[in-house]
Amino acid sequence: MTATIEAPASQPIADMEADSLIGNFPEGQRLVGSQCNACGCTMIGSRVVCSSCISRDVSRVALPSTGVLYSFTRIHVGAEGIRPLGYVDLDNGVRTLADIHEGDIPLRPDMRVELDVEDDWFFAPAADDKREV
Amino acid sequence: MGDNVFVISAAMIPFGKYRTSSYVGLAVSPLIDAIRNAGIEKSDVDAVYVGHSYGGMMTGQRICKEIGLGTVPTVNVDNACSSGATAVHEAWQAISQGLIDVAVVIGVEKLTQFGGGTLPLSPEDREVKQGIIMPAVYAMRATRYLHDTEATPEDLALVSVKARKHGALNPFAQFRKEITVEEVLNARPIADPLTLPMCCPTGDGAAVVILASERARKRFESKPAIRVAASVLHSGHVAEGFRDMTKPEITYDSARDAYALAGIGPKDLDMIELHDAFSIAELIYYEAFGLAEPGHAVDLLRDGKTTFGGDVVVNPSGGLLAKGHPVGASGVAQIAEAFWQLTDQAGARQIDDARWAMTHVTGGGTAGLDHGACTIHIFEAA
Repeated sequence: MTATIEAPASQPIADMEADSLIGNFPEGQRLVGSQCNACGCTMIGSRVVCSSCISRDVSRVALPSTGVLYSFTRIHVGAEGIRPLGYVDLDNGVRTLADIHEGDIPLRPDMRVELDVEDDWFFAPAADDKREV
Repeated sequence: MGDNVFVISAAMIPFGKYRTSSYVGLAVSPLIDAIRNAGIEKSDVDAVYVGHSYGGMMTGQRICKEIGLGTVPTVNVDNACSSGATAVHEAWQAISQGLIDVAVVIGVEKLTQFGGGTLPLSPEDREVKQGIIMPAVYAMRATRYLHDTEATPEDLALVSVKARKHGALNPFAQFRKEITVEEVLNARPIADPLTLPMCCPTGDGAAVVILASERARKRFESKPAIRVAASVLHSGHVAEGFRDMTKPEITYDSARDAYALAGIGPKDLDMIELHDAFSIAELIYYEAFGLAEPGHAVDLLRDGKTTFGGDVVVNPSGGLLAKGHPVGASGVAQIAEAFWQLTDQAGARQIDDARWAMTHVTGGGTAGLDHGACTIHIFEAA
């Protein structure tokens, strides 16, 4: 006996294949985002499914390298010494968790920050924010 | 709305560090005590719901077999810090729908198995890979809240001072010594602006409550009981962009639904056990529950409105900050506190003429969500 219709198999998503948040783009090293070609929703990371409209038509995009520091903390526990960590709202509205380098300027919510890449990637107060009080 | 559901018994061990006790060792004594306190036989139990996050396979069955409680369905529930309260919600659903009459709910967790440090989170999560830990999540809430409002680090400390003051009255609390604002502020920093006493301790615990239908309660009516006026469970909703970390939608939504189910408002509450995993949470939740306007929670705290003698006693048990927070046990322990307060069994921390109680736990650090889960219950003295 052969059925007239065969139920199709769903396939797993290889989401552990590329989980680095930093990537090379024509404009340089940028945070990796994903944009839904169906509804336009933009998300952090390499994603296969749009969390808004569940379309699978999603493209890899470079995220903006500047944004606003929503909030931050300095973690005192752990092996790495004091570690500043914050949420950055990028200029296209996507939020990302990020290491924050403090430099000479005290961190404060709502300050402008920009991406920098050395051994690892982080955000630091933006040049255009340093003019502010 | 389904049938009325009652809590007819509660028991728990004092929260603390019990390195020589397993999940079974933590839970069996309160399980037996809760059954005896209810005046029921184990053969009266129709189902068992067990909340835990780190107990491993068949934690509930491992506990129940020790007292020969089997055959009936045993359901193991994981919803992080909301595991225990989610187990109560499942029991409430089954009874209110008339499917069963008597349910045992166990909340149990053994955090000393990890040897210290912050709560282990899922290594598959994007932000966990980046190094997020629960204290950092709450610390960022606190940084933003202090930026947006008139609140100060002293207010964050005052939450811990109140919790320890309440805990000193509670024989079930892990911390039973009072502390000063200066001691809190000068303590070891964990994640700025949070210091160690602004963070709940790790420890072990087990709590058990028994829920019964109106019909079953009448069979055992010589015992005190409280009515479940609302049982609400929400899950987090993803935000890929901006989220106001000082206004957690999951708790606002759960509180709104719970008030609607119970037919009461925040002014009616005599006590609240809320999820003060870190001191900032208590301020944010005053606002989410409608006790204070957004940005004005500190007025209540500074004026003593949320301690004994105030308008509504928040965390009479000492809360997670002082009583302790063995993840899966906390939601059930909160309901045990509500049961004791509303049935006049709370000893030195008894709230006079308490009639309405609310319990609230959230759960989980997951990228893109405020929290993974939130459970709110409202109880009325019966």
